[in-house]
Amino acid sequence: MADSTSLTKVRDIKQRYQPGVLKYAQMGYWDGDYEPKDSDILALFRVTPQEGVDPIEAAAAVAGESSTATWTVVWTDRLTACEAYRGKAYRVEPVPNQPGQYFCFVAYDLDLFEEGSIANLAASIIGNVFSFKPLKACRLEDMRLPVAYVKTFRGPPTGIVVERERLDKFGRPLLGATVKPKLGLSGKNYGRVVYEALKGGLDFTKDDENINSQPFMHWRDRFLYGMEAVNRASADSGEVKGHYLNITAGTMEEMYKRAEFARELGSVIIMVDLVIGWTAIQSIANWARDNDMIVHMHRAGHGTYTRQKNHGVSFRVIAKWLRLAGVDHLHAGTAVGKLEGDPLTVQGYYNVCRETKNAIDLPRGLFFDQDWAGIRKVMPVASGGIHAGQMHQLIDLFGDDVVLQFGGGTIGHPMGIRAGATANRVALEAMVLARNEGRDIRSEGPEILRDAANWCQPLRAALDTWGDVTFEYASTDTSDFVPTAVAV
Amino acid sequence: MRVTQGAFSFLPDLTDRQVSAQIEYCLRQGWAVSVEFTDDPHPRNTYWEMWGMPMFDLRDAAGVMAEVRACREANSQAYVRLSAFDSTRGWETVRLSFLVQRPSDEPGFRLERLEAQGRTVRYAVRPYAVDRPAGRRYGPASAARGEAR
Amino acid sequence: MSVLSEPAAAFAAPSEVVDLKALEAETDMSAPMAELDRDLVGLKPVKQRIREIAAFLLVARARERAGLANGAPTLHMAFTGNPGTGKTTVALRMAGILHRLGYVRKGHLVSVTRDDLVGQYIGHTAPKTKEVLKRAMGGVLFIDEAYYLHRPENEKDYGQEAIEILLQVMENQRADLVVILAGYRERMQAFFAANPGFRSRIAHHIDFPDYDNDELLAIANALLAASDYRLSAGAREAMTDYIARRRRQPGFANGRSIRNALDRARLRQAMRLCAGTAVASRDALQTIEAEDIRASRVFTMLTN
Repeated sequence: MADSTSLTKVRDIKQRYQPGVLKYAQMGYWDGDYEPKDSDILALFRVTPQEGVDPIEAAAAVAGESSTATWTVVWTDRLTACEAYRGKAYRVEPVPNQPGQYFCFVAYDLDLFEEGSIANLAASIIGNVFSFKPLKACRLEDMRLPVAYVKTFRGPPTGIVVERERLDKFGRPLLGATVKPKLGLSGKNYGRVVYEALKGGLDFTKDDENINSQPFMHWRDRFLYGMEAVNRASADSGEVKGHYLNITAGTMEEMYKRAEFARELGSVIIMVDLVIGWTAIQSIANWARDNDMIVHMHRAGHGTYTRQKNHGVSFRVIAKWLRLAGVDHLHAGTAVGKLEGDPLTVQGYYNVCRETKNAIDLPRGLFFDQDWAGIRKVMPVASGGIHAGQMHQLIDLFGDDVVLQFGGGTIGHPMGIRAGATANRVALEAMVLARNEGRDIRSEGPEILRDAANWCQPLRAALDTWGDVTFEYASTDTSDFVPTAVAV
Repeated sequence: MRVTQGAFSFLPDLTDRQVSAQIEYCLRQGWAVSVEFTDDPHPRNTYWEMWGMPMFDLRDAAGVMAEVRACREANSQAYVRLSAFDSTRGWETVRLSFLVQRPSDEPGFRLERLEAQGRTVRYAVRPYAVDRPAGRRYGPASAARGEAR
Repeated sequence: MSVLSEPAAAFAAPSEVVDLKALEAETDMSAPMAELDRDLVGLKPVKQRIREIAAFLLVARARERAGLANGAPTLHMAFTGNPGTGKTTVALRMAGILHRLGYVRKGHLVSVTRDDLVGQYIGHTAPKTKEVLKRAMGGVLFIDEAYYLHRPENEKDYGQEAIEILLQVMENQRADLVVILAGYRERMQAFFAANPGFRSRIAHHIDFPDYDNDELLAIANALLAASDYRLSAGAREAMTDYIARRRRQPGFANGRSIRNALDRARLRQAMRLCAGTAVASRDALQTIEAEDIRASRVFTMLTN
């Protein structure tokens, strides 16, 4: 048996394969000299080892359990090219200002993964290790997906560029709203909300994540009344409009049935929830590619594993997987609204969705360079507790390629839904116009809004109602970094 | 009704000075600006008539404004829009588009419904103006320019 | 700054007394004028004319501020002179000066010749000329050897179409661009005589004299210094000799001839160094010797 206190790889073959238990580092899952290959999949874990567990051994355990290892030595390793298949922890560093936590970098050989399957990737990388006893907590912070792997996915069915071309809308954020109340409206009443909001000036309205086919409104009713509203509003404005028809259902068969009905009615967009799972997402993306449909992804449920900083999976990883799996819209936070999100961290998610290449950007939580290899761009969606009075902040933070969704901010307007929609559209267009004219919207934003409100009564009412509403709470998920200290 | 295509249709019609400022913005981004016009404002009418080719390598809005004015003059009752094209890798598409003229009277669109089985309805949106032949759709050709600019 | 604010906001309020020095400082005119002095050897009369024009434009701004009668001044110019006398370089500086004074919005220079403006077939010229004009908007359009636009021997020459469009824009869009026509003195005079429309629209004529021998030597030194070369004492003498001979030979083009001569001298220096000892000192690497100059054909050609 090898020296049980050592953390170096056992090189002597006899000792290495002697039956019994070795430390993961001794088995070869730690290699501080390893230089990651361009074709390796890289993962960064934030690991909190139990008391007394050496961080290097913890990192090796993560690498081992997410690749080939089990708790004991097995001779059958020797029937494989096991050196290549072992995940290799190659760097361990204390997390700045977070005692007891370590950033562990792990490299995986490309052949460990099936092409074009997020389910396989997830089962490997987050399959076992998160319940591993020697770790108090573990979080997958970021991943680098090599071009060779990215190319095995087809990505967003539509993407930002083609979506804009289909909608014929360029140079400004798109506007949306979720129909409220979330539950209880009949199909006919639901369509009324859609019509008013779209006619008032929104580009999209949206089903909420849990609107499927409940007793108060069956899905076909919602689709039929919704599309009547969409077409009326389109004829009233000369614009292409849409309503995200949520096709989330209990089985794939049922989802396809609903998707096909949406297509038959001429909808440009369908919607699914993240909770349908990776395989279902990739399947519906395939369907959407075949049917020229935009796929709107509501990230329902993500907070259960993305929010806590010490355990789970960062949303930036979820966003990367979803870009590969193939969604066109992705809720990625607002920074200024009611839901969790530090502005820089949220901008990091937006960059994952929209850039052709991500450069390492530690303040925004991007730990790796990521080349998207020509895969289409995902349109991020900012939704949750935002209103017209924040227009300058939203455009300053997120730019033009984003869907801004003002649900309460449209439907709760004192003069009615249509006026609420108009207020948002006028605020948006006035702000983009001013920004393009060279004005500093961050500081002059409120003035620009007030000027527009002078001739737009609905905007004045919106500013009077919500002008002062802010959601200022400390974010739980901010980036931990010391400039230049943590970079690959 | 008011066709609200383009980025700024919910604002009062832009003055030439405002249009000029938007062109300057596009030129600063390195985009090529082009002028297009149509008398068929159907939301899915993608290919408007090109008023010349996109203008590459310009430094100042004055050249584009001259084309805007010339296009308005020749098509006083048409929709005229400016589009700015970005040739950057990964975009290669229009990045900003907005109307710079609309006809004096906009009759809007008819929504046609064809009822099919299972309560399904097939919809068609049809501009009232296209009931007349191209070139005679908006006002008499001799009519004065739609709006003073 | 907002692009909608006035480009020359500083001049907005009418007043009884205008501080010309302050105005000069506001427009930051000293920088382009100093550049002109530094970058261009000699050209005294040209520099004097430019100072006059700059002063005139500054006073026009001051008059505007004082609320005095002030139509948009005509700024189109004609630069006449032999090749290599600095017309293009001065045009470039002029664009900068006009920009600082707020007479052109962007301050770039678009330099063209007949081929860029005139087409090959019917209907080709107007779009070509307009395209060039659009690119020049906000800056200065420099038309070199402008007289080629006019071909009196051919009535149907498409150049006439370009001339008509140019004249129209020079008249109607004076705020959008400044046109500088350039070429040999005599030919430009003939061109203006045949096209009085141009003459009446040109406000400033600047004549570029040939450089004298000392100026050409100074140009040579400046060109070499800019790229870390220098003349040895012998080479300096050779260069003086070269200049005196070269200007009596055909194809002499002032500064341009000097630039070409130096390009060839550098090639000869390189050959000399490679043929010599294996090591070359830093000093040797930057020194042009007399033999690098004297190997020129200029010294063997018969001169009259």
